[in-house]
Amino acid sequence: MTLPAASQKAIDAYLAALRKQLRELLDEDSRDIVDEIRAHILDKTFAEAEPEDVAATLAALGTPQELAGRYRTDELLERARLSRSPTLVLRRILRWVMLTLIGLIVFLVSGLGYCVGGVLVVIALLKALFPRQAGLNIDYVPNQSFSAGFGAGSAPPPGHDPIGLWLIPICLLLGGGILFLTFRFSVWSIRKLRRPKAFTPA
Amino acid sequence: MKDSSPPPSENTEKWEVQLRKGSLELAILASLWSNRLYGLEILRHLESNSDLIVVEGTVYPLLSRLRALGLVDSEWVESDSGHPRKYYRLTPAGRQRALEMSRTWTRFSSSMNNLLAPLIGEERKE
Repeated sequence: MTLPAASQKAIDAYLAALRKQLRELLDEDSRDIVDEIRAHILDKTFAEAEPEDVAATLAALGTPQELAGRYRTDELLERARLSRSPTLVLRRILRWVMLTLIGLIVFLVSGLGYCVGGVLVVIALLKALFPRQAGLNIDYVPNQSFSAGFGAGSAPPPGHDPIGLWLIPICLLLGGGILFLTFRFSVWSIRKLRRPKAFTPA
Repeated sequence: MKDSSPPPSENTEKWEVQLRKGSLELAILASLWSNRLYGLEILRHLESNSDLIVVEGTVYPLLSRLRALGLVDSEWVESDSGHPRKYYRLTPAGRQRALEMSRTWTRFSSSMNNLLAPLIGEERKE
């Protein structure tokens, strides 16, 4: 899928002019519009059974000024309506709150994942560097006390370490796995929450 | 609707443009009734299922307004063509509105047909 340089230039110029005309809209909205018009142009010049000339496609859309003008008129109508309808305002705010809330949850879950995964990898490193001081430490006196934990001190801790050097592969595997899953989760969430990036043919 | 009547005068054409413009909103809602579609699919649907000649540059701003009104929802979907497409679907409010509008439309057009009955009879005689 390649476009002649001249056609690509014409599309870029059209979209740049459109973006400029839409500057009074919210940034997010104008980007959305430009991406949609770009997809339309690419579909008409590539994906259709009878591909159309780029110039004809652009002409059918009207000049960037005309097209932006139609969006602006609708936006103005919408603003007028919004100012009169409290439920619409509330619904917009609710949509925004939901998106923000989901974003916050994704942020917290990802943060936790990266921390836990990171700590596990650090533990594996510590065990490799200080095999005697660091490790899983279980201090168990029957019927009196029980403590279990990871530690890295200057002296070998009391209690005993049931897994020894096995700690290194276990922690690396577990930590690496958690980091990988967290990474996949955050990438997936970003894709879900944000629209895909605009496409430009090579 | 192809007939052999003489071409309409300029003023009739202007009136027809207004008529089409006014019905475009309902036409778009109706084309989304059973499927989600992206902009160009909506255009194709309107072309193949009606004789509404739609100016491409009017559909996208209208879709954006319908979305702002909460009548349609949109989402970007990756496609085989290499670029994502923005799909639209009716919201429950949009379905409701489409039903209301189609009811109003049917009532309106049947009462217009009643009014026009003598004219249509006249036309047949000619």
